[in-house]
Amino acid sequence: MERDSIISWKAAGISLGLLLVLATALVKPLGVSTQFVVTDAAIAHQLDPEFAEDNSYLAKYGAKVNWGVGYGWMLVLGMVVGGGITARVFRARQPEIDKGSMPRMWSSAFGQSRLKRILACFGGGLLLLFGARLAGGCTSGHMISGISQLALSSFIFGVTTFTVAILMAKFLYRGKQL
Amino acid sequence: MNLTLLIGFLIGCAFGAILFLGGASSYRRILGTLLLKDMWIIKLMMTAIGVGSLGIYLLDLGGLANMSIKPAYVWGIIAGGAIFAVGWALSGYCPGTCLVGAAEGKKDAMFTILGALTGAFLFSLAFPYIEDILIKPANFGPATLESLLGINGIWLAIPFSVALLYAAFFVLKDHYD
Repeated sequence: MERDSIISWKAAGISLGLLLVLATALVKPLGVSTQFVVTDAAIAHQLDPEFAEDNSYLAKYGAKVNWGVGYGWMLVLGMVVGGGITARVFRARQPEIDKGSMPRMWSSAFGQSRLKRILACFGGGLLLLFGARLAGGCTSGHMISGISQLALSSFIFGVTTFTVAILMAKFLYRGKQL
Repeated sequence: MNLTLLIGFLIGCAFGAILFLGGASSYRRILGTLLLKDMWIIKLMMTAIGVGSLGIYLLDLGGLANMSIKPAYVWGIIAGGAIFAVGWALSGYCPGTCLVGAAEGKKDAMFTILGALTGAFLFSLAFPYIEDILIKPANFGPATLESLLGINGIWLAIPFSVALLYAAFFVLKDHYD
């Protein structure tokens, strides 16, 4: 029981599905990865406006679209605020195994090196967003929102992503005791 | 306009709370699912999609669904999905859950965000060179099963939703050795 999360996958899945329906009724479906580019574009426009306007991808965002601060940006800000507040309120009920910056499963397979974990996360994050921008979305925009809308693009994304991620996880944990 | 921003913020708050409470920002849950041992995350996602799909196409019957369908440029999505997947298995986070993990105070999630901002920047540099190769060819536009099959989406969403919920609730089982 102590391994269980604070709410069950059933409760989380049903409420996430209902939230998606509500979002689609009020504004539009959920999505996260675009906001990383919006943030990059805002920084690039501050540091080197000429460079930012020259780049056909970054030039889409910036001052002319109110720095990209729209529904999607506020949603991402809300995730940090909502996730952060909930984490503080319910900390005592979070399983011990899920706390902290060094997952136990990681350290038992790859050792205690913080640097190793940080490098894997930085590199992993880099690949996550390079891939998500190339594919046009991530777990929320493509997989949850896109497949719910029966989008062809999102089925392609979902199948590719799960296949490759399972192979990669099996490769990383080959010969490791779980 | 301001109301849209407020709605976005509140929906984001609920989204972040659900991901935290449901254990989606947990490394062992994500890797457990990818190693096909702990089915928690895949069951959570299948339930969300099952409920979401049925709800969205019911809304659509009344013309109330503000859908947003991403274009199907096959090569870019396969390449991007594969790159994304390697990052997902390496870090144990996705772009949404690393935000929640960082909000919990997890340092590995904060470094994932830094990597993500770098990756998005590198993509913007690469975009002019890969657009013609991976995004423009084999682009079928914003196609859905509804538009491809010519059947009203609700008749697809109902069996799809039932199948996903049935699989999540009754078929998938955890496999610990």
